[in-house]
Formats: sequence, C-alpha cells, structure tokens
Amino acid sequence: MLKEKLEKFFKIDRRCIFLVLAVVLFAPIMKPLGLPNKTIARDTRNAYEFMDKLPAGSFVLFSLDYDPSTRPELHPQAIAMIRHAFKKNLRVGVVTFIAGSTGLIEQIFQTVPGEYNKVNGADYVIFPYMANPVAVMTQMASDLYGIYDKDQDGKDAKTLPVMQGIKNYKNMSLIICITGTAMLDYWVAYVGDKFTVPVAGGVTAISQPGYGPYLQTGQLKGLIGGMKGAAEYESLIQAPGKGTSGIDSLNLGHVLVLLLILTANIILLIIKYL
Amino acid sequence: MKLIKKQIPLAIVLVFGVLTLVSYYVPHKLSVDYIETMNKWENIVAAFAFLLGLVSLFFSHYYKIKRKADGWGYSLFVYVGFLAMVIPAFIWHGKQTSELGMTSLGWAFRYIYNALSASMFAVLAFYIVSTAYRSFRIKSAQAFVLFVAAFILILGKVPLGQIIWDSVLGWTGQGVDQVIEWIMGVPAVAGKRGIMIGIAIGAIVTSFKIIFGIEKQYMGKD
Repeated sequence: MLKEKLEKFFKIDRRCIFLVLAVVLFAPIMKPLGLPNKTIARDTRNAYEFMDKLPAGSFVLFSLDYDPSTRPELHPQAIAMIRHAFKKNLRVGVVTFIAGSTGLIEQIFQTVPGEYNKVNGADYVIFPYMANPVAVMTQMASDLYGIYDKDQDGKDAKTLPVMQGIKNYKNMSLIICITGTAMLDYWVAYVGDKFTVPVAGGVTAISQPGYGPYLQTGQLKGLIGGMKGAAEYESLIQAPGKGTSGIDSLNLGHVLVLLLILTANIILLIIKYL
Repeated sequence: MKLIKKQIPLAIVLVFGVLTLVSYYVPHKLSVDYIETMNKWENIVAAFAFLLGLVSLFFSHYYKIKRKADGWGYSLFVYVGFLAMVIPAFIWHGKQTSELGMTSLGWAFRYIYNALSASMFAVLAFYIVSTAYRSFRIKSAQAFVLFVAAFILILGKVPLGQIIWDSVLGWTGQGVDQVIEWIMGVPAVAGKRGIMIGIAIGAIVTSFKIIFGIEKQYMGKD
C-alpha cells in the first residue's frame, strides 16, 4: 500500500515541478533574501588582482563573446570587469566574434563609461564584429589594423587616442575573454601561449570545471565562473550589480535541485527495502 | 577530369597545409606576410560561406512552404524573423541607438532577439530540474560517487549551501570551498587533461591525414 503510494511520487506531473521551480526563482527576485556571499573563489580573486595591479594607461583587450542566452551569467561579469578597468584608468578595447553579442556590448557601453567619465575613442574603443576568430586572432599578432582598420563607428582606428602605441599583442597588458563558447580556449591556444600575453576569462558555471588545467599551468591568470563569480567580482570592486541580485534565485534553485534528487533517491531506497 | 576533381585539390591542400603548418613555427617576415594574406582570404571565404548558408536556408524553407510539408507554418517565421532584424539593420546602418534614442534595430534586438534567445535557454533549467528528479538514480557505486561530487559542487556554489554546510559539517574544520577546490583541482583536472590530450592527438593525426591526402571525405563522393 505504502509502496504504491510512494511510487506515485515518481509519476508526479512534471508541470508541478516546473511550477515549484518558477516560484522558487521568481520569489527572491520580488523579495531578495540578501544572504551574505561569504567566500570569494581563488580564481576570481586572481583575475581581480591581476587587473588591479596593472598600471594606469595599460591596454586591456576584452573579447565579449556571448549572446542573450547566457546573458544572466556573463553580462554581469563583463560589466564588473569593465567597471574595474575604468576604475583603474586602464584603456579598454572590445572585440567580438559572436554576432548576437554586438547589441549586448552596446548596452554596456551606453551606461558604464558615463559612470567614470570615459569617452569613446579616447578611453575605450569598440571594434566591429568579425566572423573568423582564429584568423583574426592570428592577424592581430602582427598588426591589428590589418583586420580592424576602423572602429564600430567607422572612425580610423589607428588615429584614435586610445590606440596610441598599440599595434599588436606585445602592446597589450591583458586579454579578457568572457564567453559561453570555446572562444577562451582559442585565446589561450592561439594567443596566450604563442605570444606570451596574459589571458583571463569569464565563463558559464557549467563550463568552469573544464578550465582547471589552464589555471593550474598559469595559462589562465584567473577565471570567473557563472553568476556566483560575477557576484564575487562585484563584491571585490564594491559595486553590487545583477550578479549580486541574481544570487538569491540561484541559492534557492540549487537547493531545490538537491532536495529533489535526495527525495527521489530516499523514496527509491524505501521502495527497494520495503 | 580526375586531375581537376582530385589531384589539383589534393595538391592545393598539401601545399597550403604544409606552408601554414611551417609558418606557425617560423618567425620570419615571409611567413608572417603569408599568414596575413591567408587570414584575409579566410575572412573573405567566411563571408561567402555566410551568404551561401543564407541562400541555402531560404531555399530549403521555401520548398518546405511550397510542398506544405509538416510544420511549414514555422518556416514562414524564418522569413519574418530575418526581415524583422535585417530591415532595421539596413535602415540604421547597424546602430542600436541614435540621437533620438533607441532605433528600431535596438528595439528588435532587445525585445525580440534578446527575449526569445534568453527564453529558449531558460526553458532548459525547467527540464534539467525535472529530469534530475526523475532520472538521477543512485544504483551503483559510480553513481554514488557522481552524486556526492555533484552534491558538494551544487551546494558550495551558492551562499545558502555554504551556510548549510557550515551548520551541518562545520565541525569537520573543512569549508565547502576547500572541498570544491580539491575536487576541481585534482579529479576533475585529471579527467579533463586526459580528454584534452586525447582530442589534441586526434586532431593532429586527422590534420596530417588530410594534408597528405589519406583522408579525402571532405572532397565528397565524386
């Protein structure tokens, strides 16, 4: 009798689970829990410290390669790192190899530079979308103007004040790739290793474990993983944003998954030994 | 015919394959110039590939509509979606904002593409949670190890999990972040490194097979 009752739990309508998850994700957005983020991951701290130690005026190249599907995790990372770069008075260059990313880049640069009185062309430059990442990365090693002769607005890139003294990777202090694709692997393999340029990254939580080998060997100077990584970086630069506010939903979502797996397996055990 | 269809393409692959491989390791001006030229050619070819893909997509959906194949109505949305993004992009020269505020391209990006793309991906979360409940069964020792690792990683990835860990297992003196660092730094890296080395060796062997004409499937059946 009890066995039959318990078996019914496995046949529960999946829409009920969908509803519970929707409530669990939505409720903290409406009423934040405000749980403290007690730890900062070592790799996030390393990325922060590497950028923090760069002298003012250094050129940092951002490769922002994500589209709206991974926006909740990666957009806050990009915003936090760009804020940090502006705060440290670093020069910022932006490239992308994902067409869907162009609109998101534009959204970032509509608001963030204004917070630090940064001017397009003088303090930062946005290059247009390019389709063939490996070819572009290789070309930029000798002369980046061979590919990016103009910026996104059609201005001559070479004459922009922000590009003074920048010709190739030798003139860059750091490359940061924030991506939901394998683009960070390309930056490490085709640029970081070959031209000895420091590379750091930001990736989705699901792909974070795959970058362990690069972190151990120092091929990656630091790595931000998922929304938690974004929240950690935001707390390091003391500028809470979407990463911090989204962490509550993530909290409850993760705990729900664990509870469901545990419940299902406890029921299974009871059925087996009943 | 064999000369045009087989021998000349194979010779091109051999010559350019060897040259590109050698150029990667030779830091000479000639090799740098060669790589630059190849990069420009590659970009031009990629642009044509885009165009080819677009034409092919349009034709395949056109025939689907013409034949009234199953789900042909959805094919109409390929054209609707394409026009909804491309026409504003042409009008505003790819700009999402102007002096007047958000352009129609900006609007289409933010409220059509952004919303649809994010929704598609977000739906995955619901299926993953439902599948985790229905399918994650600890029926073997391997499944148990996988469960323990997943449990610790999921728990440690959020502040609430860290609070739970500290209150239940705080007496062990090990923080969840330290345990996660060990899992990520030792077993996960060992597995990942093995996979990466395997993929790299496979890619090198396949590349050599293509360059030296042993692997010819990319040339088609003719």
